[in-house]
Amino acid sequence: MHFPKSRKGQRMPRFAAHPYVKENNLRSIERNTKITVPSPKRGRKSSSNKKKHRGRLISAGYLLPSAVGVLLFFVLPFLIVVYYSMIDNPISAQFVLFDNFVMVFQNAAFIQAAKNTFTFSVSAVPLAVVLSLFLAMMLESKIPFQSQFRTFFLSPMMVPIASVVLIWQVLFHFNGMMNELRSIFDLDKIDWLNSGYAQVVIVILFLWKNLGYNMILFMAALSSIPKDILEVAILESASPFQVFIHIKLRYISSTILFVTIMSLINSFKVFREIYLLKGDYPYDTMYMLQHFMNNTFSRLDYQKMSAAAIMMAIVMVIIIGILFLTENYFGKDVEG
Amino acid sequence: MKTIEKMCQKARRKGILRVIIMSLVTVTLMASLFGCGKSDTAPEEEKDGLIYVPEYQKLAFEARYISQLAPAGDEAYMAAMVEDKENEGYKTVVYQYNLLENTAKELSIADLDGDVNVNAFLISGDGNLVMVVNQYQYEEDENGEIVDSSMTMELRRISVDDGTVINSQDLANVVDRIENSYIQYLCEDGQGNLYLCDGDQGIHIVDKDFNKLCDISLDDWVDGMAASKEGDVYIATYNENGMVLKKVDVAAKKLGEAVEGIEDVFGNVGYYPSVSKSLIQSSSNQLKLIDLETGTSEELFNWMDVDIDGNNIEIVGELSDGRIWTISREYSEEGDQYELVYLTRKKASEVPQKEEIVYGALWLDTLTRRAIIDFNKSNDQYHISVKEYGNDFDGSQVAQFNADLTSQNCPDLIGLTSLDFSQYASKGVLEDMYPYMEKSGLDKGDYLENVLKAFEQDGKLYGIVSQFYITSTLAKESLVGEENGWTLSEMLDFVEKNNPENVFMYGSRDSIFRYCIYNNIDEFIDWETGKCFFEGEEFIRTLEFAAKFPEEVDYNQEEEGISARLRSNKVLLMENTVSSVQEYQMMNGLFGEKVTYIGYPNSERKGNLIQSSGGSFGISAKSKHKEGAWEFVESVISKEYQDSLVEDNYGWGFPIRKEALEKQFENDMTPEYYEDEEGNKVESSKTTWGYDDFQMEIMAATQEDVDAVRGLLTSADRLSGNVDTQLTNIITEEAEPFFKGQKSAADAAGVIQNRIQIYVNENR
Repeated sequence: MHFPKSRKGQRMPRFAAHPYVKENNLRSIERNTKITVPSPKRGRKSSSNKKKHRGRLISAGYLLPSAVGVLLFFVLPFLIVVYYSMIDNPISAQFVLFDNFVMVFQNAAFIQAAKNTFTFSVSAVPLAVVLSLFLAMMLESKIPFQSQFRTFFLSPMMVPIASVVLIWQVLFHFNGMMNELRSIFDLDKIDWLNSGYAQVVIVILFLWKNLGYNMILFMAALSSIPKDILEVAILESASPFQVFIHIKLRYISSTILFVTIMSLINSFKVFREIYLLKGDYPYDTMYMLQHFMNNTFSRLDYQKMSAAAIMMAIVMVIIIGILFLTENYFGKDVEG
Repeated sequence: MKTIEKMCQKARRKGILRVIIMSLVTVTLMASLFGCGKSDTAPEEEKDGLIYVPEYQKLAFEARYISQLAPAGDEAYMAAMVEDKENEGYKTVVYQYNLLENTAKELSIADLDGDVNVNAFLISGDGNLVMVVNQYQYEEDENGEIVDSSMTMELRRISVDDGTVINSQDLANVVDRIENSYIQYLCEDGQGNLYLCDGDQGIHIVDKDFNKLCDISLDDWVDGMAASKEGDVYIATYNENGMVLKKVDVAAKKLGEAVEGIEDVFGNVGYYPSVSKSLIQSSSNQLKLIDLETGTSEELFNWMDVDIDGNNIEIVGELSDGRIWTISREYSEEGDQYELVYLTRKKASEVPQKEEIVYGALWLDTLTRRAIIDFNKSNDQYHISVKEYGNDFDGSQVAQFNADLTSQNCPDLIGLTSLDFSQYASKGVLEDMYPYMEKSGLDKGDYLENVLKAFEQDGKLYGIVSQFYITSTLAKESLVGEENGWTLSEMLDFVEKNNPENVFMYGSRDSIFRYCIYNNIDEFIDWETGKCFFEGEEFIRTLEFAAKFPEEVDYNQEEEGISARLRSNKVLLMENTVSSVQEYQMMNGLFGEKVTYIGYPNSERKGNLIQSSGGSFGISAKSKHKEGAWEFVESVISKEYQDSLVEDNYGWGFPIRKEALEKQFENDMTPEYYEDEEGNKVESSKTTWGYDDFQMEIMAATQEDVDAVRGLLTSADRLSGNVDTQLTNIITEEAEPFFKGQKSAADAAGVIQNRIQIYVNENR
């Protein structure tokens, strides 16, 4: 607690600075003691400012470790990536501005990778959202073996990625189970991982791995919808479809956004599975942007890698921005 | 107005904050990009720290070979083979060596003449010598042929004062099947018991009176045995975990558990008694003190840092004045060269400072190690330290190397062996060395220009070798003609026309396929247009051709030797090297007629490939010590060094300097003679060469032989092994389903085309 001081440096009586002392009383004290006292209004404001300032300092103190972490591990590397994207190579380091972006944009491998990544995300992400929502709805209704189904769909999350890849190799290898099954029906073998089917296999792998997690998120969102609203809708003779469209979908819109963003991020990370399945240079339909970046990095083409990374980051920011706007538009009335 | 002022203040504060944040970010960014890594000068702690400084001395006696060395405090005992002028031969002499004064005193040891060899010896706790000696005895018939021979092995205790034998024991009484044993190690424990070890058969323990106590059997080969300061005896063996140290437990008559805390070491490993700790451990790289009580080890120094080749270390010990002493041996045909080195701990600031140059390589080869040590010893301005990244089994070593090359941590000198030279050259990692050659007054016309060309890109010299050899394919001249080089289709036509049992002696479908493709990959890739041709007829024909050969080779199958099969055209080709004129002579003998080094299939008919045999060097474009790095490169291509490669017969392969190469050819053509019984001068063979079951006495080379080799050496201008393993791995992986009959050649080729096309697109 700070007390205002008199001109002579004497400490003011405690009551003189109390914000609840009436202004008139203060004025009479001022007259009698011939000392200047800040008005209670100004005192309150000053104290409030100090409190605010102190609060900010404390907040900043708490935020500092995270801010330093973000600065060191996100902002700084990103700035370095920006730097690398504008030099000719990491050895001579001559600035070339946007030449690398032009070069990468004209590179057939980059175009192929961007096309594949786009196709994969566009097909896998909506499927991951719709199917997991469907499963969540299904498990929300009273069906037998509900908990067993839930465990079943969640189990892929517990399997290490190396084992997942092994399972997929056993299934989709040229001599794998899928082709064995086909041979029962006298169908020709398909080279699943070295043909146009390769991306389908990866989409299935992605869904198998991610549906359970998304489903749990949707189940949590569905259970938090106010029951009274649903009851009113039923009393008003709303059909289940109408309830789903007009109530449930609107209440879980923020979860849909979250699941979509998470699925989108995960769809970019599918490189890990493909890399373990087919290495640095898979069949062209499985070649993703991260392959391009990983390979250019190992060949010391940091400038190409950085330019590609920045372009990818820009696209990601735009997509996530659009998703936020969409969610804001559809879900604003239920979020208050 | 006040509000505006406040806003201005706020904005100013925000502005200041923004400036501070931006400055912080910029400073950190700049620091990370430019400021980190090594500095020109050594850090303070290092400057004021203690370092070992070597002092090289000649041994006080001349010996052809030192067979045994035993440390004893400030003295050492050495059994050496020295020249016996009286009998015009060599004899074993034991020296008592005063290490503090570097003087040697010859000891007169009884019964140590004739055919007696000292296998192992030590200085016992009672101050006497204990040694294992063996004597080879034989009987000759009237023609001088050996008709009967035997070997005796004896354990002797000998007085150091007068050389008399105090006690002896025939080791046949101690070691079972003594005729198959060779005692290599001898140690004494604190109680005076003696431990005799014969490699892998067992440890035989006797008491101080040479009475047998017990035998301990061994599962692994013993790589060293030493008595610790505490008086226990330990053996070093290799098992699945690398090198381990185990105590010999006499009471339990077995080996103890592996001592914990001993790191795996490799190369020339030896254990020696220590004064300050339990044991001294020397390996090819470092010298360490081991404390067995705490299970810890302390690295004293890296051998390269004190300019000593760790592979040449014979013994190490500690002196009472704190110095370390060691004897290193360098092999020489004229007699081994021994050097006594004292290593004194001094303050770094008291030692003249040199500029540090870092040599970075996946591993350090013997010739480069020797060249660096010689450079460090002779150069007053620069000192080269070595950074080995390790064998690149999983790609992580090359990744680390690449990361260092792009940072401030980059080595100044780059060992290019097993690295992607063309990638580094094209990315600007390497410095052009032609300007340095010009500045140093070196004429590139003095060197094999085709070898320099192999390391060129856009007329700039990014790498260089001191010594090289050629890898190639050999065939009979009568079958393929005398011209070098062929295309893949010519090679396939040739084999199909002659219809042999196999293309090579041990040709499997994989090896034949690799042979056809891997040194010829550019035939299927047009880097200019970015098009691949793996779906073309040529590649599919190659796949089908390779598929005709067996999947696996049975090496145990008893059949004719390689020479017979080559001569009868059952096998047509042979992949081999040309590392000397003698090797060329031997190959002509092996084939039974003149051979042509036709090379690997190549669209430009350039299939003879250059391979470095003594390191290939590049200078980092980011180095701060380019002049120093060049000084080293200059030293290995200098006239003196290149001539020494020929004169000392060091390493193998051919020198890159033309003059030295001609000297080597001259040596190869100089005949050697002996006098027959009638006193006639008869030409003798220079050496014997062999391959598989074939052996041949090599006489002096003819001018024709030398011309053929010279023609080969001056025509090759491509480097061997410069193909990205990514490409070869894709081809191998996708060709396999075809070889196993699961896919058609066209389908396999289609997948290869698809995957490699991405690689090509990515790298354009």
